[in-house]
Amino acid sequence: MDPYDIEGGAINVRFLHADSTRANFLIQNFDLATANALRRVMLSEVPTMAIDVVEVIDNTSVLADEFICHRLGLIPLNSKNVDDVLYSRDCDCEGYCEQCSVVLTLNARCTGNEVMKVYARDLVVSEGRPNDEVGNPVITDPEGLGSVIVKLRKGQSIHMRCIAKKGIAKEHAKWAPSAAIGFEYDPNNKLRHLDYWYEEDAKKEWPVDEHNANIDGAPQEGEAFDYDAVPTRFFFDVETVGGLEPDQIVTQGIKQLQQKLAGVIHELQGNDGMNGADDFGGAQSPQMNGAGYGGQDAGYTTPYGNASVWGGGGGTTPYGATPYGGPGGSGW
Amino acid sequence: MWTTIGRLVEHEPNSTLRNPNRKSNHMNIAHKADFNNENRFELFLLDDNEKKVEWEEETRIPNTAVFTFNKEDHTLGNLLSSRLHKYDYVTFSAYKVPHPLFAKFELRVTTNGSISPKDAIVKCCKDIVQDLEVLSRSFTTEWLGKRIVHEGEAERLAREREI
Ligand SMILES: [Zn+2]
Repeated sequence: MDPYDIEGGAINVRFLHADSTRANFLIQNFDLATANALRRVMLSEVPTMAIDVVEVIDNTSVLADEFICHRLGLIPLNSKNVDDVLYSRDCDCEGYCEQCSVVLTLNARCTGNEVMKVYARDLVVSEGRPNDEVGNPVITDPEGLGSVIVKLRKGQSIHMRCIAKKGIAKEHAKWAPSAAIGFEYDPNNKLRHLDYWYEEDAKKEWPVDEHNANIDGAPQEGEAFDYDAVPTRFFFDVETVGGLEPDQIVTQGIKQLQQKLAGVIHELQGNDGMNGADDFGGAQSPQMNGAGYGGQDAGYTTPYGNASVWGGGGGTTPYGATPYGGPGGSGW
Repeated sequence: MWTTIGRLVEHEPNSTLRNPNRKSNHMNIAHKADFNNENRFELFLLDDNEKKVEWEEETRIPNTAVFTFNKEDHTLGNLLSSRLHKYDYVTFSAYKVPHPLFAKFELRVTTNGSISPKDAIVKCCKDIVQDLEVLSRSFTTEWLGKRIVHEGEAERLAREREI
């Protein structure tokens, strides 16, 4: 029996490493298309906060306005519970307001003879925002400085008003929640999906992640090639930029993907008029459930809670209760 | 004395950099933090009256339809077309992105007639949603476990350092 997959055929997760910046895990009994879709969604469709518009009130530093504005845009901002923030384009306000943006002010002047560095910690977050954390500049260094924005010499100053909005990395990479996502399957190339060029000996020259390769099990000497084999174990290594905890990136990614699919279900079934009860376990179909997807996720309570993405509307959700809960619940 | 070498952005009537909220345009310029690609949201926001999915029956081949997904990309295209291969009643499924600059893909599905292509896709979507739900649960459970172990260790180390 596979020591890393004690749950048999059910989809399950095993962690190799977890801390505040990184989640290194493997998903077992999963399929390649879904794993890759999840990877892509985590890269580009998980919403975060980033500075989007900057009003330049004063800038006598050596850097051009646009240059500094671009740097400001790239500063990671806390995006915890970013669900509380509306997309600016969906908001009723003109421009921006407290429900769809966070205003950060940067006001610095160098008066001493030394060169002064302006850091992310110097961004002052204004009162009135969707929740207490969202929009705070991410500061992880022991000195509590954050990233450097600009350097000033004596007499130089900058004064800028930055409007941070919610967005996704499909629009601009500054909204990307993850710095990098490692993704691998079949590290020993047993399935022969890879065919790298080599000089003399593929075994010696091909790069292999030894750790992952050990987990996945080395091929037996002279083992016959299995033409029907498909990858089932996927190695993920999600590293956060700082705005979201690494687990949040994954759970939000899953949620986004589910909402995407729910949108398709809704669109295809909605055209028939509601055809009511459907074929999964007598459960209610997601689109019958009121406040599920689409608009504001009113029903989504906590990422750790039992409420599923379809929550709200009251009562048991189609995926909330037991049918798919325990191990061994699914698999095809 | 002055030679004009260009127009200041705030004097350009069509400039998006002009801040309409300000009465005077004196020294105040609003910049997009990165204003290239103003219309990148066209990649994922449906136009007015645009539908997420449109489809057309293929008249020459039975049980076949071509679905056009608007404002979607390979993330969903590959996911659906590959997943559909797993069902016995699906005899063909494939997708293409007709042009890389337009955010849409076409998914062509043929079934054996026991189910319509549309229902096959709906079933497929529901199954994926379920799988993701199982995944999500397993992930959160394992993450919490791992973090507790991790934090416990960090705490123990901190305590040892104090002593
Ligand atoms: Zn607003």
